[in-house]
Amino acid sequence: MSDVSTVDASEQEARQSPSAVADGDERLAYRGVFTRLLVRPEIGATIAAMAIWVFFWAVSVPFGLASGAASVLDVASTLGIMAVAVSMLMIGGEFDLSSGAATGALGMITLLLVRDFTGEMGGAGFSLWIALPISFAFAIGLGWFNGTMVNRTSLPSFIVTLASFFILKGAKLGFSKLLVDQIQVGKMDDLALNADTRGGDKGYAFFQRLFAGEWVRNEHVWSGRDLLYTVATLAGICLIVLAVYEFRFARRQQMNAGGVIPFILGLAGLVAGQLYLHNTDDTTGNWIGSAIIAFSILLTGFGLALWRYEPLADRGSFNLDPSWLKWFGAGVAALVLSVIAARALDADNSDNIYLLFTEQGIRAILFISLAAAGAVMLLMAANIAGRSSQLMRSALLFDAAVATALMAFFIRSQSASPKFRSEVFSVMLVIAAVMVTWAAVTYIFRERREPDAQADAFAQRVLLVGMLSVIVGVGTRLLFTVQNEIDNGISRTVFSVRTLWFILFAAVCTWVLGRTPFGSWVFAVGGNKDAARQIGVPAGRTKTQLFMLVSVAAWLVGTLLAFRLNTIQASTGDGEEFEYIIAAVVGGTALTGGYGSTLGAAIGAVIMAMSFQGIPASRWNSDWRFVFLGVILLVAVIANNFIRSKAEASR
Amino acid sequence: MSESISESRSETPLLELDNIGKYYGNIIALTGVTTEVRAGEVTCVLGDNGAGKSTFIKILAGVHQHDEGTFKLEGDEVSFDSPRDALNRGIAAVYQDLAMVPLMSVWRNFFLGAEPRKGVWPLTWIDKGTAKRTAKEEMAKMGIDIRDTEQPVGTLSGGERQSVAIARAVYFGAKVLILDEPTSALGVKQSGVVLRYIVEAAKRGLGVIFITHNPAHAYPVGDRFLILNRGHSMGNFAKDEVSQSELTQLMAGGAELEQLQHELAAATGG
Repeated sequence: MSDVSTVDASEQEARQSPSAVADGDERLAYRGVFTRLLVRPEIGATIAAMAIWVFFWAVSVPFGLASGAASVLDVASTLGIMAVAVSMLMIGGEFDLSSGAATGALGMITLLLVRDFTGEMGGAGFSLWIALPISFAFAIGLGWFNGTMVNRTSLPSFIVTLASFFILKGAKLGFSKLLVDQIQVGKMDDLALNADTRGGDKGYAFFQRLFAGEWVRNEHVWSGRDLLYTVATLAGICLIVLAVYEFRFARRQQMNAGGVIPFILGLAGLVAGQLYLHNTDDTTGNWIGSAIIAFSILLTGFGLALWRYEPLADRGSFNLDPSWLKWFGAGVAALVLSVIAARALDADNSDNIYLLFTEQGIRAILFISLAAAGAVMLLMAANIAGRSSQLMRSALLFDAAVATALMAFFIRSQSASPKFRSEVFSVMLVIAAVMVTWAAVTYIFRERREPDAQADAFAQRVLLVGMLSVIVGVGTRLLFTVQNEIDNGISRTVFSVRTLWFILFAAVCTWVLGRTPFGSWVFAVGGNKDAARQIGVPAGRTKTQLFMLVSVAAWLVGTLLAFRLNTIQASTGDGEEFEYIIAAVVGGTALTGGYGSTLGAAIGAVIMAMSFQGIPASRWNSDWRFVFLGVILLVAVIANNFIRSKAEASR
Repeated sequence: MSESISESRSETPLLELDNIGKYYGNIIALTGVTTEVRAGEVTCVLGDNGAGKSTFIKILAGVHQHDEGTFKLEGDEVSFDSPRDALNRGIAAVYQDLAMVPLMSVWRNFFLGAEPRKGVWPLTWIDKGTAKRTAKEEMAKMGIDIRDTEQPVGTLSGGERQSVAIARAVYFGAKVLILDEPTSALGVKQSGVVLRYIVEAAKRGLGVIFITHNPAHAYPVGDRFLILNRGHSMGNFAKDEVSQSELTQLMAGGAELEQLQHELAAATGG
């Protein structure tokens, strides 16, 4: 069958061309670690979350304090539980507009079941041990109804669940008026208050702890906190740096033991500098501490690279190519302009810096945006120049580091706020030190341009452990206090158990989506339902289970609300379904289905909670939060689309 | 009879169709179709649009049941209730548009619906390592080197996508592989790639049914040709019985094409 000209021709053609599948390997260019990271749907949300946190940290007081984190996490928890479930449903290609109303409805069912209708809490009404399973069964039934209606009628879930939404909304009003003659149903704590007459609290104490338990930070004093925080965070950062190196640089055939010495010395310097900073209060002390840390960063990075990585052979030559020169010029111009803007406007104006649309506010916005634009343009210049010459990349990166350091001093000299004078100042110096280190090590060592599965796997594990370590460190600091802070009279900070529910729910959903056959089916029914069905995936059942997951999440949130608020309004949850969808979309979930991330949805919920909390915390009118929400949504969708197309094109 | 079983096994065709017919109400969708599919051979089903090719596949793949004639799988007369039934008996169909979920990774697509599992019920999860390794190995056996099985199928070329579907069917123990117009949406190069995998699959002992409307694609790889036109079988030939140009003639319904040539000549002449 090979004696026929047609196939021979096409085969030859295929062989000559580099796109022949047999030689498929060569046509795949090596994708660097940053490109591969961009493929993750949640990466956009992660960057946005950091940027928004920095923004609110700069313009408001509570951000950066444990109390601020507590209030953000509190709002994020209920929103996040729903957003995670809704994102899974959206990946499966459906919407649930009844999810918001369902939270209130299911909480209300629990309250109605435990309520005593016969008299003054004489003993009627169910125990929570019975009421909660019944409302849970209602949740399963609601999900089953939505899913089955969508499957049977083949109507868009948008319409079917819109109907469910109105049914629930009406039923909530109707039943609450009918049964208790009010548009709210309560009260959960009647169970505890009337425990004597009803013969026990009917499970209230147990479930109250389970759904509304609290961790009062001020009551948990632990003198070892700062040590664990420092060690865990530093170790985490070091591991993350190691991971970045492993991703980025080509390993030596044989390790160079000589590098271990500067590496260990650098680590020791980091710890010493950190401890020194903690135990000093005067300016000179701060200077010495910062200098030790900056030098140690350099030494650690250099030692690590010397120990493990191959030196770069061709470093390129000095050039003044206009392709980068124009970005460099623009960047310098922007930085100069930002300094002029900050100087020209009145520094002594005593208007509140936190209020926008004052001279100080305009000054801050002008300065920050010009300076940020300048920094980005300098980095772009370095990147463009680096395509032909590593020497120029490192030189320009060094320039950018110098500019960052100069700006840090400028901010320190110009700002009245201690937050900027000390914290922003030191963070910027650390960034400058990191940039100098990066300029140095990329100049000395060779970037890995070939895949190395072993190094990648190692780096991934190290990265994960590093991030966990940082989370443990920061978590310790959030959860515990020290006697010193109590003596200074810090405000009472309370973490709710709902945050634990949120983390647990997000973790389980992420695992299910990523690691189980059901997770694969969710992606499949959302991505190409007919293909999935043809290959034997139970498409209808998968979708119904997703609707059930959403209503079970609504049950959890309804229960959390019932225990927190004691009463559920008839309107509780109505209209919030769009917030869940926004959080999911901000987190990188595609509206078209088949693509997305539960982790991203969780981060999206945190972003929204930050804006809900940050706007009043910045003393702006909280009505502005909707403007903020709309802008975030638009920017997120555009950015996610851009990242996705960019990432997929670069494969 | 019994003494010749071991001998006759290789002689018994995988699929044997004798005078198969299908009616939709009073419409005769297919009638009098006879062909056979042997292990290690490629049977091409040729026909123009509306010739009854899709009805034919749907009968083979278990979507529809035939109304007349006999349908034998490895010597036993069968009639499938569902695509799942056909799949369980070793008949896998790869449809052009329905093969893959574009945004899902190669390995997830490869094992979709039949994920290898770890753990104890009810807590089971995908054995991701095995899945990724197996997908890569199976693709390599087909001559496709997929370095990163995490890449979405949508980033593969059309030919490679078809090949993933073919490799998947082969891996999951298909004895008969039905390919519905695998080359129709592809360019010349890509078609060549897919044709090579068709030959590859046949070499590995599968019976392949290759449905196409392009004789130039069918003739080089086919061992047997079934030509359909307007629901009727126009013939069932072994490769040595027919040439490519004859195939083209038969496909278009011989006389009709001649008629058309005359008309065109008249039109351009006049």
